[in-house]
Amino acid sequence: MKIEVDPPTNEVRRDRIERQVFAQLANMRAVERADAAVPEAPAHNNQRPWLFGAIGAGIAAAVALVVVATKPEHPAPAMIVEETTPSRIVTPVGGESQFTVGDAVIVATSDTSIDVKRAEDGGITLVVARGAVDCDVAPRKNRPPFHVIAGDVFVEVVGTRFTVARTPSPRVDVVRGKVRVRAPGGTWLLSAGESWTPPVSASASETVAAVPQIAPVLVAPPPATQVVPVLPPVALPVASAQPDPHALYQTAQRFEATDPGRAAKAYRTVANTNEAWSAPALYGLAELDAKTDSVKALADCNEYLRRFAMSAQLEDIAWLRIEILRSGGKRDEARIAAADYLRQFPQGSYAAIAARIASPPSHD
Amino acid sequence: MAPLDDVGLSIVERPTPEDEAELVAACLRGDLAAQRALFRREFARVNATLYRILGPTREVDDLVQETFIAVFRGLAKFRGDARLATWIDRIAVRIAFDHVRTRGRTPVPLGVIGLGDDITDATALDAQAHARDGLRRLYGALAQLSPEARTAFALYAIDGRSIADVSKLVNTSIVTAKLRIWRARRELMRLAAEDPVLKEFVK
Repeated sequence: MKIEVDPPTNEVRRDRIERQVFAQLANMRAVERADAAVPEAPAHNNQRPWLFGAIGAGIAAAVALVVVATKPEHPAPAMIVEETTPSRIVTPVGGESQFTVGDAVIVATSDTSIDVKRAEDGGITLVVARGAVDCDVAPRKNRPPFHVIAGDVFVEVVGTRFTVARTPSPRVDVVRGKVRVRAPGGTWLLSAGESWTPPVSASASETVAAVPQIAPVLVAPPPATQVVPVLPPVALPVASAQPDPHALYQTAQRFEATDPGRAAKAYRTVANTNEAWSAPALYGLAELDAKTDSVKALADCNEYLRRFAMSAQLEDIAWLRIEILRSGGKRDEARIAAADYLRQFPQGSYAAIAARIASPPSHD
Repeated sequence: MAPLDDVGLSIVERPTPEDEAELVAACLRGDLAAQRALFRREFARVNATLYRILGPTREVDDLVQETFIAVFRGLAKFRGDARLATWIDRIAVRIAFDHVRTRGRTPVPLGVIGLGDDITDATALDAQAHARDGLRRLYGALAQLSPEARTAFALYAIDGRSIADVSKLVNTSIVTAKLRIWRARRELMRLAAEDPVLKEFVK
């Protein structure tokens, strides 16, 4: 017995799925970060460099990487034990370079200078002389410490992916996990989705911080199981929490089945931004609303068509709109929408069905 | 100047993959071009396999996506014991099987994925409509089978795999695969005897 079933071979559909796959891969870190606060990975595992490459999406083309063995411009603070051979990475303006140091994957952004040091205990310290670095570092449980120094800002990794910028102004963004930031004015523990910028007084000190000014106060890495800071009971500066649209989008997806209201709220929050994920979020919201409220779903679709006329999901939203109209019994409007769809996407994934819907009522 | 190895520093290279092993290695190094090349090379077969197991449902797109995400996330575990295509097919079949098992035996709704895009006249439209009806009935019948029987039968009778391949993909013995296919065929023919449209479709 052989039954002929020909799968759809539409290239537009393939391209759409391809985009979704790689977008999803690129956001896996955001998905994982919800579980990454408590590091549990085995000590010998490397981070997934392929995943980082997906996120990099072009960053990986190393641009004029200059590695010069030299004495460090910024000596490490005393708590970093004796260093071995230092190296410096310099990227030109407009260039980015990806490299690995031990189990960490680092991207040096445009116009960045970094000294890389490795201590005898295997600990790694990046000293950012200028520019910014994006670090993907395995949880430090059972691993040597990993630190980043940017002027008078000292970042200790608990286990995370994060970005440290020294210029034009100091800034730390945590994508996953946690880092501890020490800088003039206090100590901060940042979690996923949070960012840090120095208080005004600390920022001012940056201008004279050619050499790290912070006192060597951290003598040893925290215990492996420690995930909350053991900090002096002083009033800590509040880190500026900025919801990550990617993470919020993924949260909305996760809650679709169990808590549609919460999912809709998250989708709407992302949709209202001008981030790259606002279009997918609005699409998700339209699909979600279509299950319960066709009027609202149609409004979502119309908003999408108005705001994202060049979106990759334009065909999908056009088809979703037809489906909503049909399920709502609005056959005439669905017919008009289907005709519109065929004009826009004559070779579209749903063209065959749209043709039937767009045909006169006696044949529908 | 100290060698880079002294500080564990290495530059990520981006070679042009020429064979399967190199393609996998490049993907594992994070070469996005290689990952996209792998996706494009394997997409058609994965898409066809999932579509033929699950039928015309919008969930196929999601499951194709899920398959490739699983492939890329698990690529480090690919040891090269089998062909990469076989390894990927196993992932696709497992995802399809899990989906069928989770969804239960509910009938497949009228799908939204067209059979073709080249509709030019009323006759073709009628043929398309008829084919769609047959397809819907086929997958409605398959939905009544056990997930194991459905998956094995779809791989064998619709996707055109050999029984040996089916047994590998569903991780069972050849005898068990044969038995599942035979039971599924028997049940399908019983249903077809009562449904002329289905009968015509599966003849």
